[in-house]
Amino acid sequence: MATSMDFKTYVDQACRAAEEFVNIYYETMDKRRRALTRLYLEKATLIWNGNVVTGLEALTNFFEMLPSSEFQVNMVDCQPVHEQATQSQTTVLVVTSGTVKFDGNKQHYFNQSFLLTAQSTPNNTVWKIASDCFRFQDWATS
Amino acid sequence: MAEPEPVASMAKRNQANDRAAKEAVGGHNHQVNSVQRRERWWGTFRRRFPNWSEPDSPSTNPSFRQQQDGDATASDTYVDSAVRYTPYAIPRYHRRGTFHKQDQTPVNMQREQKLLERSMEGCRLNGTSGSWFKITIPFGIKYDEKWLLNLIQSQCSVPFTPFEFHYEKMQAHFFVDNASIAFALKNVSGNIWDQDNERISIFVSPSDAPRSVHKELKSEKVQQIKPTMKKRDDSQEALDIQRLSSEADFMGHDEMAANPSKYMATSLGVHEENVTKVESAGEMDKKKGLEPQQMRAGGNALCTTFPDKSSNINSILELFPKLSCLDGQESPRPTLGGTEAHKKLPTCKGSVFGSETLKNLVLQFLQQYYLIYDYGDRRDLLGAYHVMARFSLTILFNPEDPASSILCKYFKESRNLKMLKDPYLRVRLLKHTKRDIVDSLSVLPKTQHDLSSFLVDVWFQTEMMLGLSVSGVFKEVEGKSHGCVRAFTRIFITVPTGNSGLCIINDKLFVRDAGPQGTWNTLPIPMVTPYSSSMPALSQEQQKMVQAFSAQFGMNLEWSQKCLRDNQWDYIRATQVLFLPKMTSGNSGQCEHFTVTKSGGLVGAEK
Repeated sequence: MATSMDFKTYVDQACRAAEEFVNIYYETMDKRRRALTRLYLEKATLIWNGNVVTGLEALTNFFEMLPSSEFQVNMVDCQPVHEQATQSQTTVLVVTSGTVKFDGNKQHYFNQSFLLTAQSTPNNTVWKIASDCFRFQDWATS
Repeated sequence: MAEPEPVASMAKRNQANDRAAKEAVGGHNHQVNSVQRRERWWGTFRRRFPNWSEPDSPSTNPSFRQQQDGDATASDTYVDSAVRYTPYAIPRYHRRGTFHKQDQTPVNMQREQKLLERSMEGCRLNGTSGSWFKITIPFGIKYDEKWLLNLIQSQCSVPFTPFEFHYEKMQAHFFVDNASIAFALKNVSGNIWDQDNERISIFVSPSDAPRSVHKELKSEKVQQIKPTMKKRDDSQEALDIQRLSSEADFMGHDEMAANPSKYMATSLGVHEENVTKVESAGEMDKKKGLEPQQMRAGGNALCTTFPDKSSNINSILELFPKLSCLDGQESPRPTLGGTEAHKKLPTCKGSVFGSETLKNLVLQFLQQYYLIYDYGDRRDLLGAYHVMARFSLTILFNPEDPASSILCKYFKESRNLKMLKDPYLRVRLLKHTKRDIVDSLSVLPKTQHDLSSFLVDVWFQTEMMLGLSVSGVFKEVEGKSHGCVRAFTRIFITVPTGNSGLCIINDKLFVRDAGPQGTWNTLPIPMVTPYSSSMPALSQEQQKMVQAFSAQFGMNLEWSQKCLRDNQWDYIRATQVLFLPKMTSGNSGQCEHFTVTKSGGLVGAEK
């Protein structure tokens, strides 16, 4: 059972991971789209406005097909996921919100949630996306 | 000649303001009425999610919000390309906060009338003359027929004769046989109020003559459906169901009306053939453009009944949500090797569940969760959470919007890492025991969620874990912000419980002000058969129990029946399910509640 001190460290770690990840993800999405799939696990799934995309190959095709983007993230939050759910694999839920403009389309509000899982190497910890859920939120005004 | 606001409606508006002020102090009967209305919402919601005991219910729940957009430029579902007319959109003056009809300039009125008349050209049938319109009053079921018609007539500039007045689900309908009458009725919308000072809306749509007027058509007419499809070229245009369904030789057959499910299946079957042809190799969705679940159902995806033929338009749109995509995007065309100019966004689709079983499980869970969240004591949600669950909340609002200052109750708890850098606060705003969580939830303002607006994505599933998102709108139902519509997204991560239920281990709530575009009182779209009609008849005693249950909890009969039935008509047990006990069991992390039986029923805790 985690003491409150451990919990604080736990949360700090998750927050740092989340912030770093979010910066990298949207920068890659906007400026280096081809490299985006490196952030995903082999068997990751993306649900993009109800379209289901599974596996790296499908993801590669999908991101290739998507028009170029300009993301503006206004909100980031994260929660560590309890190990009971993840069978002891360190996992963080990251949630973002903001606006996006895809080339040739009008601007949309969006909500996105990621399930990030830690892949530890001797040198560092790499966070990869196990699951990604993206939705436009067009009934929102702020 | 924009009409000056009639004195009557100004008086009403003042009354409404007074009432709002009174409520801020400490409301009166309003609570009872709103509970009654809320129960009707549950009834509607219940009908909108498929009945789990029927094997062939439609397996997608496309968001109805695609038809809610009142902004004419975004909702692009009508035939006429010159001017956008959106008969199923919420009229601008129905939006929260708008008190005058902004766009009823003379030019607009004439144009709209012409559109109404033109729209009838496609619907004229052999042997019928005149143009018919169907008039729909959402939530009309609340009103007595005579009272309602008198009220409408009192504000209507022309006398009208209603044909075939009837109630269907939550709505009242009748027909009129003249475009200018229909137009005049449309102008009444939003200018009449009920006894609770709520605006009454009137929707007008072109229609065939009502059954009683229309003569019987021969069955050969049905065969005309296929040739209509073949007439079209293999272009995306062919998939414009709105256009299709307004054509004379597709719609408006009496036999179709009498056996709607049969003909809907036929027409869908036809349509699928053509859809398959049209779909390009570059289509990203491997399932050839139809919802994956619909394909698995073997083509005859539609097993619901459509008792009223002019609701077919909405129903068809629901089944093909990609055709009524939010900003009118076309389906993707094959890309030849992708220059930027050819890249299109994939069309937006409805809810994703992954499987029928999961869908049932998740919808049951959400139903139960929001029932308590909206109508019960939120502390009763204790049993739904894992002992070490996590919860956080974020709100975003426009600080310049005066209405959103009311979001301050949420603001105190709002956690946004972009704005919040204090590590201590970052930890504090993440609630992490179930006790803390339900305490936090209890102080949030009281809400009423519009389950018909819910869009669900199940984005992760293992044996140990389920991850899902729900988006939709809700209304605040108390205090100063009463009536304010908010948009929300909520993410649940759950683990399974021992009794095939779901136990929440992560809960993330995100709230935004929905503003004038956030719609409430959306036109409820009939989608599934009423729950009660598919159930065997109740015994006398069972009927009495349903009545008693309904009276005791202020719940509608359908829902009461379901609660009782799911608990094998054990009245006590049924009430326990509704109002979960506050005590937790001794086991750490074990959730005892929110269990779902194999038949899809809800069962309370086993001791």
